[in-house]
Amino acid sequence: MNSLNFNIDFGYLEGLVRGFKSGIVKQADYLNLMQCETLDDLKLHLQSTDYGNFLSNEPSPLQVSIIDDKIREKLVIEFEHMRTQSVVPLSTFLDYITYGYMIDNIVLLITGTLHQHTISELIPKCHPLGSFEQMEALSIASTLLELYNAVLVDTPLAPYFIDCISEQDIDELNIEIIRNTLYRAYLEDFYKFCQTLGSTTADYMSEVLAFEADRRAITITINSFGTELTKDDRATLFPRCGKLFPEGHSALVRADDYEHVRAVAEFYSEYRILFEESGNNPTEKTLEDKFFEHEVMLMKKAFLEQFHFGIFYAYVKLKEQENRNIVWIAECVAQRHQTRIDGYIPIF
Amino acid sequence: MSGKDMISVFPSRMALTLMRARLRGAQKGHSLLKKKSDALTIKFRGILKKIIETKTMMGEVMREASFTMAEAKFAMGDFNSLVLQNTDKAQLKVKSRRDNVAGVNLPIFEAIKDGSDVNEYTGLARGGQQIDRIKKNFAKAVSLLIDLASLQSSFVILDEVIKVTNRRVNAIEHVIIPRIERTLSYIVSELDEREREEFFRMKKLQGKKAQVRAAAEQKRAAAGNEGEPAASILDQERDDDLLFD
Repeated sequence: MNSLNFNIDFGYLEGLVRGFKSGIVKQADYLNLMQCETLDDLKLHLQSTDYGNFLSNEPSPLQVSIIDDKIREKLVIEFEHMRTQSVVPLSTFLDYITYGYMIDNIVLLITGTLHQHTISELIPKCHPLGSFEQMEALSIASTLLELYNAVLVDTPLAPYFIDCISEQDIDELNIEIIRNTLYRAYLEDFYKFCQTLGSTTADYMSEVLAFEADRRAITITINSFGTELTKDDRATLFPRCGKLFPEGHSALVRADDYEHVRAVAEFYSEYRILFEESGNNPTEKTLEDKFFEHEVMLMKKAFLEQFHFGIFYAYVKLKEQENRNIVWIAECVAQRHQTRIDGYIPIF
Repeated sequence: MSGKDMISVFPSRMALTLMRARLRGAQKGHSLLKKKSDALTIKFRGILKKIIETKTMMGEVMREASFTMAEAKFAMGDFNSLVLQNTDKAQLKVKSRRDNVAGVNLPIFEAIKDGSDVNEYTGLARGGQQIDRIKKNFAKAVSLLIDLASLQSSFVILDEVIKVTNRRVNAIEHVIIPRIERTLSYIVSELDEREREEFFRMKKLQGKKAQVRAAAEQKRAAAGNEGEPAASILDQERDDDLLFD
């Protein structure tokens, strides 16, 4: 697809997304929200943003979890609308975006099933963007292998299971290892798919997914210090794409503490900056915060170009960040902990 | 006097000795109980102070822990359901043992870690540091809670025991000892009175004897001035003063 023919199939949706993007909460609104003393104040201020009266039907003692749910619901409605209006290949692209949430949902349901908890309690806790038809059917199996053979083979995530886990291992692995292995397969697959879309989409999404892969590699390495995760296992969790692949990965596998990781990141200019500006003191931004900021910066770049699918991905990620920001401010207001209330990541 | 009674006992010297012994026993018991009550009260006040400290610290720690929870949710999204689903057995258990303070059995609770960390890999790809911090903060909160539990149960038990002991101390001080003292004074007064009666009887007897002698003297003087025949031990006459002959 190119600039000439893009608008035939995708022009309406691109316009829609750009409209949604301009409704993302601005810095001035965040400043207003930070001044709130109670959650009802917050609700009042949110009414003047694009969210409007989304909280108007909620009963009086407002809770942070309700605000969180409602914000997510709004994103889901918008996304579903775009998904239903789209055609191939945009529909496949949007599906790929949902696979990430699907992985989280599957991990949650597997954990619940393995510990003999009822599935029906878990279904409401799943992320709505990641729902798939076989969700209810997960309760019939009791071991992971049965689960896979009976249910998971029919989901779109089946190929990811095949790639990484053999039949014998599947019952012994820790659920988090499974989650990270699945996510790795998903990222690699998404990366390959984007390459087939050609020109601007491929360029943009390659950069974005490379950052995502590198971020995961670095975070997994840092978080695996002090756990029983062996270095070989750690290597199997790094996605095989991104700037750090392959030399950076081998260096990360050998790393033993935070300083080693920082040394590895020194070779890559963007990551070096992130490490320099972060630290472990309570006053400095953490590395996670810096990663979020970098992600937001990449996402904003999507809207500078036209005729590519990256804007949809960017829109979903930015709305998620906005969700996190608003929930963070709401928690600070509810807990009356004003000191770190400006710890959100500013978007626009 | 109304309402004040004493132990009914036959007033004799034996009863006096017995009563005195009882009084000594009551006084010793009183002082021992008072000492016990004082020791318990000191411990009670110590526990009270510790409870206040722990509760204020608890408030702080819980606040900190909830905030860390918010931070982790910011970094990682909602992990609540996942962690809940991952639990099957308690990792932290509480054991109780008995501690003896001045004769009172107080329960002390201790935390025991059982099994390895099930959530070791949670947040591996995202938010791991916040998860670590949360684990630490909530572990601190739980250990504070356990301490608070021991302190509060000791507080309640001690309170009960102190009340009982003080009741007994007061009972001994205001009821038992006065009662014994009254009995003692009654016995002493009865014994005194009996002595006086005895004394009076003796006096009366002597008076009566002097009268009888004076009358006999007069009769003899009237019958002939012979003078009083001196008493002789060779006389076989019966002596009135001897009781048993």
